Amino acid sequence: MTATNPRIVTVRQNILKANDHTAAENRATFAAAGVRAINLASSPGAGKTALLERTLRDLAGQVSMAVAVGDLATENDAARLRQHGAQAEQIVTGTICHLDAAMVQAVLPRFDLAGLEVLFLENVGNLVCPSSYDLGEAARAVLISTTEGEDKPLKYPTMFNTADVVVITKMDLADAVGFDRDLCRENIDRARPGVPVIELSSRSGVGLDTWFAFVRGEGA
Amino acid sequence: MHEASIALSLIDVASEVLRENGAARASALTVRVGAWSSVVPEALTAAFPACAAGTPLEGARLSVVTVPGVGECPTHGPVTLDVRQGLRCPECGAPTPTLLAGDELELDEIELAEPDLEDL
Repeated sequence: MTATNPRIVTVRQNILKANDHTAAENRATFAAAGVRAINLASSPGAGKTALLERTLRDLAGQVSMAVAVGDLATENDAARLRQHGAQAEQIVTGTICHLDAAMVQAVLPRFDLAGLEVLFLENVGNLVCPSSYDLGEAARAVLISTTEGEDKPLKYPTMFNTADVVVITKMDLADAVGFDRDLCRENIDRARPGVPVIELSSRSGVGLDTWFAFVRGEGA
Repeated sequence: MHEASIALSLIDVASEVLRENGAARASALTVRVGAWSSVVPEALTAAFPACAAGTPLEGARLSVVTVPGVGECPTHGPVTLDVRQGLRCPECGAPTPTLLAGDELELDEIELAEPDLEDL
């Protein structure tokens, strides 16, 4: 008997196809319930939770909102968000550094989706891993703060390249930290040519009207 | 670092292919990782053996092929991008908004293992 050549099978399949499949199910669930799901990603401390707190407070009574928030270990963010009267459910990811579509799907039964207009999916603070995982969101917002350096978009090209809108936060600190606005916007445009950019401060309130329009799905 | 999560997903996809082909084990597999995929090939290669332990992929040789980004320049056509420069034509600096290649994260091919004699 002679040795046979090894059998090589050409596959050409997306490694994350299971996640993409679940994300498509989530997207259909959101569409059927009329919910706009917004995935928020940024590095730790860029101000995702602060922006959501301000949004929940300012749009209370106008837009029906809730939050699913991912964190490695604590429930601190959900507790912060609940103080503003909205439902906030924590997804504790353990050692996993990102939300995936299955984690989101598992938490959805805790929400009354039919009564919601906007569901925020606050990702784990991380500019690398969340970029690979579609959650089924209608839009992905990537935040960068004025305090963290203008080159982030080029250091984390995948995250910014998948953004539907880029939000520059902490604009009230821009002068104090010598933030180079033009350079930051140039780098954002290199990572994602033509992406809308919103400059705002959750503390001072500057720029929030544009953000609120995006939240409502009225464009950035 | 999410390469362990990626490795586990890779093993799921590969195990399914083995089942479809009636194979018990793989001896090698090749994945294509784009420069814009946010996956670090070295980290994936490092994570794979531990993730594969106890699965049909245990002991399989993992090869990672890096795929450079390719953009469409209005003047120069398809151009190979430099990840440090973002989506800009290296010739003229024009924006190249769409990645024609470079965002891949895919299982390219699997080499099925011949059954060991003791398995027959």
